[in-house]
Amino acid sequence: MSAGSSGSELLTPRASTALGSLFDLVPECLVLRGRDGRILTWNAAAERLYGRPRADVAGLAGHEVFAGDPPWDPALLDPTGEWRGEVTRTAADGSPRTIRLHWQLVDGGLEILEIGHDITLARAAEEALRKSEHRYRNLFQAMAASFWELDFYPVGEMLYRLRKTGAITDWPAHFAAHPDFVREMMRATRVIDVNDQTVALFGRGDKQALLTSVEPFWPEASSPVFAASVVAAVTGAQNYATETRLRTIDGVEFPALFTACFPPDTMNKGTLLIGVIDLTERVAAQEALARMQTEMAHASRVALLGELSASIAHEVNQPLGAIAANGAAGMRWLSREEPDLGEVRALTERIISDAQRAAEIVKRVRTLASGVPPERLPVSLNAIIRDAATFLQHEIRDAGVSFATRLSPDSPVVQADRVQLQQVVVILALNALQAMSGAGSTKPALTIRTATEGDEARLEVEDNGPGIPEEARARVFDSFFTTKPGGMGLGLAIAQSILRDCGGSIGVETAQGGGARFVVRLPLCENGSPTHTKV
Amino acid sequence: MPAQSQFAIVDDDSSFRVALLSLVRSLGHAATGFDSAEAFLASGLADRVDCIISDIQMPGITGIELKRQLVASGITTPVVLITGRTEDRFRPEAEAIGAACFMRKPFDSQELIDCVGRVLGE
Repeated sequence: MSAGSSGSELLTPRASTALGSLFDLVPECLVLRGRDGRILTWNAAAERLYGRPRADVAGLAGHEVFAGDPPWDPALLDPTGEWRGEVTRTAADGSPRTIRLHWQLVDGGLEILEIGHDITLARAAEEALRKSEHRYRNLFQAMAASFWELDFYPVGEMLYRLRKTGAITDWPAHFAAHPDFVREMMRATRVIDVNDQTVALFGRGDKQALLTSVEPFWPEASSPVFAASVVAAVTGAQNYATETRLRTIDGVEFPALFTACFPPDTMNKGTLLIGVIDLTERVAAQEALARMQTEMAHASRVALLGELSASIAHEVNQPLGAIAANGAAGMRWLSREEPDLGEVRALTERIISDAQRAAEIVKRVRTLASGVPPERLPVSLNAIIRDAATFLQHEIRDAGVSFATRLSPDSPVVQADRVQLQQVVVILALNALQAMSGAGSTKPALTIRTATEGDEARLEVEDNGPGIPEEARARVFDSFFTTKPGGMGLGLAIAQSILRDCGGSIGVETAQGGGARFVVRLPLCENGSPTHTKV
Repeated sequence: MPAQSQFAIVDDDSSFRVALLSLVRSLGHAATGFDSAEAFLASGLADRVDCIISDIQMPGITGIELKRQLVASGITTPVVLITGRTEDRFRPEAEAIGAACFMRKPFDSQELIDCVGRVLGE
């Protein structure tokens, strides 16, 4: 562009001449104006934005070109010779644009150079950000979960210093080995803001009291969770969530779902957002369910003992009968003219051992009847079968059933509650006996087998009764499903729930000859030696 | 002291069997023990003893079956039947086949002594 293009001496843009061709290279909209505000000329960027060639606007008053500008006031430039402000102007396409202006006197105060930035987009972005921030704040406050905004920066510093030493290659191991350092990181993590839910859940109604470090809210036992969340943050994970236990400011622990978000933008600022959901009620419900299952299993055992009462009475009466007979014999030997003390001594020894035998039977029954919560330990499956068989032998004999066990020489060991597993075997065996007697089997036979199969132990209880009809097979493990008159239909359901609890399963198939074969699978214990003791 | 009689004690439960043997001997009699009805029948003592005391529930031949087989063979040796069951379910059967006495464990030893006395006609 040349200074003489306007053809008018009055309008000669002197400053633009001085700026030369640079004038058009500048990306901002440059407008050269007289002291009275009239447009002298403008640059290429202004031509593009405002949509008019410079020749068209030369000499026009400000308000003729920029209708939205405030009325011209030369005093604006006093006393500094500069003015900054924002105006809304119409672009070539008719859209309103927010222009940030900077006026300054140039050319010895004869002209004004207007530098205009189109900040429309930036403004819109700012507005969007402001709205998003507002929305976020609203969510932060309104969500039913507890939210925490934390300043993680000091922890970042601590980790950075530690990393610089080059000694740390394995953060999880380092944190595990230095619990004090984990607590120190907690103390260094400051609480910037919390929502009302947090105040209600963790505080005493006073938000200010919570704006400390996060350390008071982490019980010692939960330190590894905090450490794991730090590891997640520094290894670039997007978020971290787990169940743990947290603590209110008054020291009351509760189960919680802990979630941490590490969005890159807030991480760069050193802040992060934590969400906490109180799981007290859910955990209580789960505990109640587990308790109910335990109680059901217990009730079923007591019911089984009822079914086995004749067997148990027989078991106990055996040693009691011996004791009574031995005692009577002893009295006789003593009452003789020449008491035979040798006989009496032998009898008394037998009385003692019979009494012990009776006590052991009572203890076994009490264990089965006890309502203690299940305790999973490595137990020998074969030993469980032998124990259960002692309960069952009289039932089996009375039913005229021929009974065989085929126990695996591998002596499979499984992780289970001994009493509950015995219960499963007794349930399956009694079912088999009842099925065979109900069907009037002529040569009833019951076989219990154990085996190992890969990493599983296998237990089979097989009868040669009528078997389970195909249509009933899917439902036999349902609660209250029964084909027995007077049956509650809980035995198999309880057996299944017991087995599931220790990672096992149960199914039924048809045995050779048409009987039912119940197959139990349980994970084998690795290198497990049974803690089983026969009682 | 009455004349010594011969007894056979049949019970698969060894401690009870031994206790009965001792009780019978304390009464001044002689007794031999068997752990199953089969073993007793094989001994050929069935018609040579004066009294048989047998448990009812045993694997294989039960006490009731034993008495039945003796009756079938025309052997009238008195048989005292004992059960470990608390209920009386075997009593009618035991009485029907002519058991000398029916007793439940644990029993009053005097009851057994009285029964044995009756059986031996003392």
